[in-house]
Amino acid sequence: MTSMRPLLLFLTLCLLPCVAASQDLGTEAQRAEGKVLYDVKCAHCHGYNGDAVSVATAYLHPTPRDFSSGNYKFRSTPSGELPTTEDIKRSIREGMPYTSMPAWEDILSESEITALAYYLKTFDQAFAGPYGNPTVIEIPQAPRYNTDEAHLTRGRAVFEANQCADCHGENGRGNGPSAPDLMDDWGYPIRPADMTKRWTYRASPTREDIYRTFTTGLNGTPMPSYQQTIEEEDRWALVDYVWSLSEDDPDYGTVVTATGRPGPLDLAGDVDLFVNVPEAYFPIVGQVIEQGRAFHPGVNGIAVRAVYNETDIAFQLSWHDMTAETTGMNHPGLKVAMFDPDQPDTTQGNWSDAVALLLPAAMPEGLERPYFMFGDPRNPMSIWYTDLAADSARVLSGQGSNAITETDFQLEHTANYNDGKWTVTMKGARQHGDMIFAEATFVPISFTVWDGYANERGNKRGLSAWYHVYLEPMERVSAAGPMAKWALIVLLVELALVGLVRWRTSRQRNK
Amino acid sequence: MNLVVLLAIAATLVAIQLVVTRWLKLNRLAWMALWWVALWAAFSYGINPPLPNSIIVLFMAIITIALIAYLSADSDELQAAQSAITRFMVDRQYAVPLLIALVALPLLVALRVYLETKAAPQPPSSSRTIHPPPPPSINFNGTTLNLTTANNPYRELEDSDPEAFAEHVANGRRIYFQNCFYCHGDNMEGSGMFAHGYDPLPANFNDATTIAMLQESYLFWRIAKGAPGLPSESTPWSSAMPAWEDFLTEQEIWDVIIFLYEFTGFEPRAQGMPH
Repeated sequence: MTSMRPLLLFLTLCLLPCVAASQDLGTEAQRAEGKVLYDVKCAHCHGYNGDAVSVATAYLHPTPRDFSSGNYKFRSTPSGELPTTEDIKRSIREGMPYTSMPAWEDILSESEITALAYYLKTFDQAFAGPYGNPTVIEIPQAPRYNTDEAHLTRGRAVFEANQCADCHGENGRGNGPSAPDLMDDWGYPIRPADMTKRWTYRASPTREDIYRTFTTGLNGTPMPSYQQTIEEEDRWALVDYVWSLSEDDPDYGTVVTATGRPGPLDLAGDVDLFVNVPEAYFPIVGQVIEQGRAFHPGVNGIAVRAVYNETDIAFQLSWHDMTAETTGMNHPGLKVAMFDPDQPDTTQGNWSDAVALLLPAAMPEGLERPYFMFGDPRNPMSIWYTDLAADSARVLSGQGSNAITETDFQLEHTANYNDGKWTVTMKGARQHGDMIFAEATFVPISFTVWDGYANERGNKRGLSAWYHVYLEPMERVSAAGPMAKWALIVLLVELALVGLVRWRTSRQRNK
Repeated sequence: MNLVVLLAIAATLVAIQLVVTRWLKLNRLAWMALWWVALWAAFSYGINPPLPNSIIVLFMAIITIALIAYLSADSDELQAAQSAITRFMVDRQYAVPLLIALVALPLLVALRVYLETKAAPQPPSSSRTIHPPPPPSINFNGTTLNLTTANNPYRELEDSDPEAFAEHVANGRRIYFQNCFYCHGDNMEGSGMFAHGYDPLPANFNDATTIAMLQESYLFWRIAKGAPGLPSESTPWSSAMPAWEDFLTEQEIWDVIIFLYEFTGFEPRAQGMPH
């Protein structure tokens, strides 16, 4: 064996230049094809030079990736290293959920995605250098999801030991104490993932993906790599703990079913008021329709419950919010200047969080309803509004975004912010003015959330489309009566028919 | 049409004719029942988009009458069918099946009533007109635009001055990616990052039934006037399309229209062609 050593050394030295030349850079033709595709499909956001300088950059949050830096979020390689071709292709294929980066797998072919990946590599010379061939961290296949208490407790211990809660929050809602101050490598603000919403994870939501994300880190973001610091055995415990905090599907609803609860509805005193009441979850998206456009709202969904008694109806609204803004003020009618990339909004700190549920001012007879942007002159809207800095809730009238006025209708309310989650309740009369919440009817309803931290106020807001609230009748109609009635009718007809036929036949026989 | 289902139904009928009848002789009544079920399955599952339930009930009533008329056209057949039914109700050998039928039918009806009471009530909905007829003319910030004659003033540059045309395309690209792609998406397929939160969903421009079959003046109307400019049959109260006359100039709207066609590869419908 000893005699082989010089030979091996010689062979290694011979191979070195080949290693340097073996980076996976594609062919000239592939890169040329990639450039054509890139200029048509990608350049308007990522810039014609791959440096994220584009007409859209200022309008996007998170900011599009600067490919000239070689910093890629999704990688199977150690922290700080370049991604593999397959990693880049995967980001193109699957996109980055809840950012402006869509999934291209249904639009581009596999060979087009490959060509694009090779072209992206040309933006950073490092891909052609000695670091262009990074080592891949093998991700083991995930063991079965383990919900044993001891296992999850261990995961929680790993979560605490590695200070995950500093950014992601005690229960993973993206609300840790450091969360508001986080910046990416380019100095843009960046928000930590809300771990409870798996469908918003940038680097996909399988358990292997979670394992890889904290093992490799996300380059260019404050998410570090825990490749060296977490024991192999602890890794799946952490994965399963994060998994246990989260849901994989938003399961968006279309109807809030209000449950009848005879007797007083005590918002402040009755902690069980909304227990066992079905919850519906609705998407919240940016208001991009009128002036004050919100291109990246701070809230992306709202959960709603409702109960009612003989005279009143109460709603419970809850949503995740990185920070509670309970100072300053807010109002749906506030004017917001048109977004101008050259005029940064420096008003942060002035605006409180707020929430509203929007209803027609009168129950619509046909399908026509108020314009969902705070109503219109023909069809006014009732805005049940809570400014979370002021300890009050009231009903406003909307006849359009520029025509919001006060009304005399009063609301009771409670508001609570706990560990990244607002829970607000509002109670009003089932009949006020021309609006009547009648049993067994569908009342149009929509929602608006203002995140004061994101300078949302007035028409700069997260909103929902029209949905419905349905008042489930207090007295359930039993099916037994109609069932017995119809069964009996059918049976009698049958017996009459058979009897008639038999009677006629016997008469004919007797003849 | 759902060809797979229709072919499966036809194949089943042929198979029964060719195979099952070798062992089991089917009388006229059984065949009528088979046809009735086959037609019901064809109407219920073989047609896309699905027919409303009330239409299917109407069709099946007509078919029932037609089958009875067919049966009674031949008096021997009618006689045979009648006596078969009578035998089933009278003969002792059919006592058990008759009893089962007498009990099963009321139970089925009761089940149906139960399912109807338990079904979750559905919120009101209606069909929505996707491409409503445009008004003859619109007022765009003080000037009147005749929609039946208006042409994209920059379209002719495509042939006469390709360089100038490319500038309009680039400007349209800028406008699209600063304003439109949040809903209509990077690839113009109506799946932008906010699309899931709006109802109705944003239009998909890659679909051959959207911009490919519309004139540029129609697009100008839709972009300039947005949801508030829609007639009521197109639910202006829930559409999220902004009225872009508040944000964009006339030239910017024509430029973004040019970009929509350039990006998707479609040609606008020529002026003067009916909708």
